[in-house]
Amino acid sequence: MTEFLQALILGLLIGGVYALLAAGLTLIFGVMNVINIAHGAFLILAAFITWSLWRATGLDPLAAIVLLTPLMFAFGWLLYNATIRRIRRAPPAPSVLLTFGLALFIEGIMGVIWGNTSHSVRPAYSTDSFKIGELFLPKAQVYGGLVAIAVLTSLYLVLTRSWLGRAIRASAVNPQGAELVGVNVASVAALTFAIGVASAGAGGAIASVLYPFLPGSHYQWIARLLGIIVLGGMGSLPGAVIGALCLGVAELMTVTYIAPEWATGVPYLFVFVVLLLRPQGILGTRLRQDVATA
Amino acid sequence: MTDVGAAAYSEGTLKGGGVPPSRARSKVLRSPWTAVIVAATLFIAAFPVLSDDLYYQNMFILSMVFAIGAVGLNVITGYAGYVSLGQGAFIGLGAYAVGVCVNDIGGSPWVWIPVAGLLSGAVAALLGVVAMRARGHSFVILTIAFLFLLQLLATNWDSLTNGTGGITLPIPTWSVDYQYWPFYYSLLGLLALSLLLTWWIRRNKFGMGLIAIREDEDKAATVGVSTPTYKILAFSASAVFVGMAGGVYGYYISFIDPLGMFNILLSVQIILSLLLGGRATLWGPVLGAFIIEWLNETTNNEFGGGNARLLIFGGLLALVVLFLPGGIVPTVNGWIERWRARGQAGLAGERLTGVDLRERAAPPPAEPAVSGSPLLEVKGLEKRFGGVRAVDGASFAVPEGSITALIGPNGSGKTTVFNLIGGTMAPQAGEVWFDGRRIDGKPPWRRAHLGLGRTFQITRLFPDMTVLENVVAPLREFHVGLLGADAVSGREAKRAEELLEFVGMGKYRDVRAAALSYGQQKLVELAQILMLDPKLIMLDEPAGGINPTLIERIGEMIRELNARGKTFLIVEHNMPFVLGLCNPVLVLARGQTIASGSPDEVQRDPKVLDAYLGEDFRLEQPVGA
Repeated sequence: MTEFLQALILGLLIGGVYALLAAGLTLIFGVMNVINIAHGAFLILAAFITWSLWRATGLDPLAAIVLLTPLMFAFGWLLYNATIRRIRRAPPAPSVLLTFGLALFIEGIMGVIWGNTSHSVRPAYSTDSFKIGELFLPKAQVYGGLVAIAVLTSLYLVLTRSWLGRAIRASAVNPQGAELVGVNVASVAALTFAIGVASAGAGGAIASVLYPFLPGSHYQWIARLLGIIVLGGMGSLPGAVIGALCLGVAELMTVTYIAPEWATGVPYLFVFVVLLLRPQGILGTRLRQDVATA
Repeated sequence: MTDVGAAAYSEGTLKGGGVPPSRARSKVLRSPWTAVIVAATLFIAAFPVLSDDLYYQNMFILSMVFAIGAVGLNVITGYAGYVSLGQGAFIGLGAYAVGVCVNDIGGSPWVWIPVAGLLSGAVAALLGVVAMRARGHSFVILTIAFLFLLQLLATNWDSLTNGTGGITLPIPTWSVDYQYWPFYYSLLGLLALSLLLTWWIRRNKFGMGLIAIREDEDKAATVGVSTPTYKILAFSASAVFVGMAGGVYGYYISFIDPLGMFNILLSVQIILSLLLGGRATLWGPVLGAFIIEWLNETTNNEFGGGNARLLIFGGLLALVVLFLPGGIVPTVNGWIERWRARGQAGLAGERLTGVDLRERAAPPPAEPAVSGSPLLEVKGLEKRFGGVRAVDGASFAVPEGSITALIGPNGSGKTTVFNLIGGTMAPQAGEVWFDGRRIDGKPPWRRAHLGLGRTFQITRLFPDMTVLENVVAPLREFHVGLLGADAVSGREAKRAEELLEFVGMGKYRDVRAAALSYGQQKLVELAQILMLDPKLIMLDEPAGGINPTLIERIGEMIRELNARGKTFLIVEHNMPFVLGLCNPVLVLARGQTIASGSPDEVQRDPKVLDAYLGEDFRLEQPVGA
């Protein structure tokens, strides 16, 4: 029972971090209809920057979020305007291939700068645990999960309480309609992409404490995040949160009860099962395809 | 079968027996390429004999592995429009199949190559089953998950694959004098077979259906294309030779491990080969593969591989998507075509020809036979979108031989009713009976085969096909043997041309559908539906968004087709058009049929007036109060 409870709590905590990372991915998809395959590469990039900051100044990785979020926001905004902007209205294939190309390119750059060896950020508390009854909860996991939930909450507030949030949601639901009522959908798309990348920046800083990483880790991360948004329903923010918590718990249960080496397979299983049984995911809606959006 | 088409529609000038457009076009393009292709093929085939340079033999061998992968990928990505980032997985799968069989069962690796092909084909078919419901983005995600899943299995299933330790294959036993010849020529043979397969697919019904799926999958289903069968077969076809090539490749490099065999860069290089050379072209993927492998070698030699490969291939993928989306072959073809077509005027500005309008300036008033038994019957149909009851218990019948109208205010559920009858949507409750059979639950293509044809509110032609190909695309029946039939048989081309003459679009047969005006597209879509020789033709707003002359002409065509036995169900907002043409008229409001009868009866029905004007009355009351 203790073992189960421990796996459940740790799964939910790591799920919170996944939720923050998947939120950016699903937001970008919802507004722009672009699957950002480079999302994993953005978060590993953020993890490497966090590592460098920590190494150079001793800055706490969780505090580094304050720097990384605006930095990655700017990076996302520039990258969007330099590349993805050109194919915003194109069918799915080009955008997936483009962001995939960007992911490889960023992986290459990270390899050149930081080398292809495993890195991890180890602040003082990374070896401590909270002991509650018979439960051992590593402090890094607890802090990371809580910070992720805090950032995710503020993202949620921006999306629901601000004009920008309304514009983003309007652009997601009906781009033509949003244009008509005065929303500049093109610049909203750029901001959305930048917000998505910024959230990957925050998530990457947290992830740097939780998992060791190297440039090639982004494949595993993007697989995880894609599994989450497919399960939750692509484009749905609450769906991403539900999917992330499910994945976090499912991974921890696999580690605890089956074998650690199969944990990476959980998101693939999610993808296959969901696409076979309920292609729209848990909270996704099947759009009416007969109503043209010409 | 009452062959209305062949006999009756030939009033226009008969132009059958012309050269089908695909052949006409390829004749233009053949000359500059033929010489290059023949020379390159001869060079590659003779190379190992002419030169004993193993560096280049190795390079050509790897190029051919990429080429086989890219030619296979072309079937699903180029023709059917499904982008896969996991094509490299089939190379790994084939290599592992051979490696595991040789180590666990024994024998020469060559014996197991066909097994590798069959296994890849079967696994790809399974992927096709999962992909039956996953389109676009979901499918791409599926292929990524597929690749990583195979890698994970190869890593963790120690007893079968020896995990990360990998599998070592025996050293070839033939004389060193033959160098890599057996690998070289078996790959050359597989490449030739792959090319033959894609060439054959492109010119038969199977390829036509795949292109229809790429252009508009839902529409393809409504014109009789059994989309799941096509997709599953296409996935298999895209993987069989790739699996075999993977087996040869594994034997060639003699060491098989999860990281090397399921490396995503392999998939990237395959998809880059296809994109760079040109999707949906025959030779493009081969050209692309040789360029990519050359780049691969150069990167390894000049920059030490590793990160440089990521930078170069990642960067190239982004650049190709942004700046060369069509690929080399189509781009060059475009230049050649433009150079040849210089000085010729386009067709777009010409007037519609065909039926002489003045002769029929005063068409006789419609007196449709409404006495027939119902051809289509809808009982208690319900469809909800979330909380919205779009269709809420609609029941009506369409008498055989009638021109029935379905009218109603905006949002009353007319188009949804169409989708439920046509099968693009499934109702939550209710029954649809057609020609004595219950058809709700049948897929759209079965309904098309039974004689149900429909057009869409916003026309949905296959934009990249020519007008003639669009009209020939519908299938009146389906069986697997049909897939191998010529894409455009002489008989079909003739009938399609007659139908195009009937709608007055004969001159546009070789024009790309996307280049037509909206009104012209409506006419072509009508001809396309007629190709199905349907018993019931359902038109969604045939008069919407087109000029009055054309509306009049469409009305005439409907009358003429009706006189020859076709039943119509028409959704339309243009009341003069409906009331002058249709009888009976069904009125839908809030998802229910609230009235039906002759145009006069319906016009006087207070419920109908209320449905159309009700909200205005309600608005006025508070003002007066």
